[in-house]
Amino acid sequence: MKLAALIKKEFHRFFHDPRLIVTMLLPGILIYIIYSIMGGIVNEKTAVEDFQFNVSVQGGAETVQTLEAAAEQAGISLTFTPTDDAESAREAVKNGDVTAFLSFSDDGALTIYYRSVDGESSAFRAFALDVLHFYDDCDLSDVEAFTASFTSGILPFIVVVFIFSACMSITLESVAGEKERGTLATVLVTSVKRYQITLGKVIPLSCIASIGAASSFIGVACSMPSLMGVSIGGVFGSVGFVGFFLLFLLILSVVPLVVSLICVVSAYAKSVKEASAYTSVVMILIMVLSLVSAFLSGIGAWTVAVPVLNAVVCMQGILALQLSVWQCLVSVALNLVYTALLVLLISKMISSEKLMFGS
Amino acid sequence: MPEEIVRVEGLRKTFTLSRKQRKIERTNAVKKTAVDGLSFVANKGEIYGLLGPNGAGKTTTLRMLSTLIKPDAGDAYVCGCSIVKDTGKVRDKIGFMTGELKLEGFFTPDYLFDFFGAMHGVEKETLRTRKKELFARFGIDRFAEVAVKDLSTGMKQKVSLVIAIVHDPDVIIFDEPTNGLDVLTAKVVTDFLYELKSMGKSVILSTHIFSLVEKVCDRVGIIIDGKTAADGTLKEVCADLTLEERFFRVYREVKGVEV
Repeated sequence: MKLAALIKKEFHRFFHDPRLIVTMLLPGILIYIIYSIMGGIVNEKTAVEDFQFNVSVQGGAETVQTLEAAAEQAGISLTFTPTDDAESAREAVKNGDVTAFLSFSDDGALTIYYRSVDGESSAFRAFALDVLHFYDDCDLSDVEAFTASFTSGILPFIVVVFIFSACMSITLESVAGEKERGTLATVLVTSVKRYQITLGKVIPLSCIASIGAASSFIGVACSMPSLMGVSIGGVFGSVGFVGFFLLFLLILSVVPLVVSLICVVSAYAKSVKEASAYTSVVMILIMVLSLVSAFLSGIGAWTVAVPVLNAVVCMQGILALQLSVWQCLVSVALNLVYTALLVLLISKMISSEKLMFGS
Repeated sequence: MPEEIVRVEGLRKTFTLSRKQRKIERTNAVKKTAVDGLSFVANKGEIYGLLGPNGAGKTTTLRMLSTLIKPDAGDAYVCGCSIVKDTGKVRDKIGFMTGELKLEGFFTPDYLFDFFGAMHGVEKETLRTRKKELFARFGIDRFAEVAVKDLSTGMKQKVSLVIAIVHDPDVIIFDEPTNGLDVLTAKVVTDFLYELKSMGKSVILSTHIFSLVEKVCDRVGIIIDGKTAADGTLKEVCADLTLEERFFRVYREVKGVEV
């Protein structure tokens, strides 16, 4: 009954305060809007389809045909104007009268004259290099491999960062804030057990933080196609049911762990400001570890023993289609054990008169 | 023969001073004894006043009685329960009112009453009846659904008082009950003390205001430097002097200096 009342109070505090709800959901919406706009701008700049290339060319009839065929296939507007006057052609590029000038020497070597400050000119150069160097190698599987490596490397990192941000905003306010305002002491003078007070914070805050983390994650997932050209659905589609379930379990094990971790920091700190400073250090540490692990190939199985990092490595494994079920389950179990230990520690901390009342 | 409800036996509490605190207090001593073997007895249905200057150890004593902090030595018994061994039982038998315990401004008095009732394990039906009675008695019923942060200082004080006794405790502990309050809010508190006494409750309060002790207390303990300097009924302690005259005489005897 006491624990239920404590949990209910945290939910009541959150769900009856529109500002807190907005604080939780806004990051996801903002991420979607900002990333989509960024993606739109980036794609607009690099979309070669939107340019009309007018290129002067000296010699190299075969290569010109290759480029024309590639342009036609990609729906690019490309016009070649043969010329014998290389000097005038270079001057025309310099003045921006033509997009670029392709000059073929007698032995067939190609020189591209272009202006790097001109988006259209640079785009043509990139297109020409792409076609002429990689035309034969152009394989769609390369694109998918990039997508998979990007998603498996970066996505778990992003997930952890969002979980941490969501946990941070509400936990600092709920624990360090209550301690600073003296409202936690009012509860401490009642006969409720200290572990119940701790669980009365960790359980509801974990649920609320999950909503915040989910909001941010959905924001990223929805904006990925326009930002990176990466389809989250495509990658997740190949993960399968077991992979999905394990991803869910891993996230579920990280949220209460991070909430408990911030509770420890909040119970130790004298004010929200102090707790916020300490938490930022912890967050940076976790971010660095997550990011390093994303680009460290063949990271050892020892990582299952490292809280949070174990989930990041497992999520990377699942998304890279190198699923290790036992590693995931051990990580989940260990994260729950760490959470339980932290709950005990928090209970001890809020029983400490030195920490609670500074005496 | 009055029935004993709180017995304090040789309570002692020392604090470690930080470097900053040592500088402020101009001392090199790392430890400071806030309460030094304090003993007194409070009876059922009476108001006991702990009278002393700032820094005498009054607040520390009340914090130990309310189980917020632990004594280094000695013990106290509230309704026979030890503040060292039976902290949970003691917490259910006391209501503690102090400026350092605050109510979350976001919630309404109605919600907080139910919440703290649940924290003390009060049955829902009992809680409902008690809320109706106490809210009506203290005029909170009209503001029951207003967030605490939007209430006047007087009404906030009333809400705090009512919530402190949500579980119908036998002993109510007040730390400096009228300190820093305007005359109207202070009257709310003194009326509340009379109200509690009429309800048969026992009250222990700390103060440095002589008039408050003279007005409401049945027994008084003068506390200087963490020790009991005088203890007894108001009549016994004052003898043929006013409380103020008696206090300064005791102070002179203990400290050996004129004020």
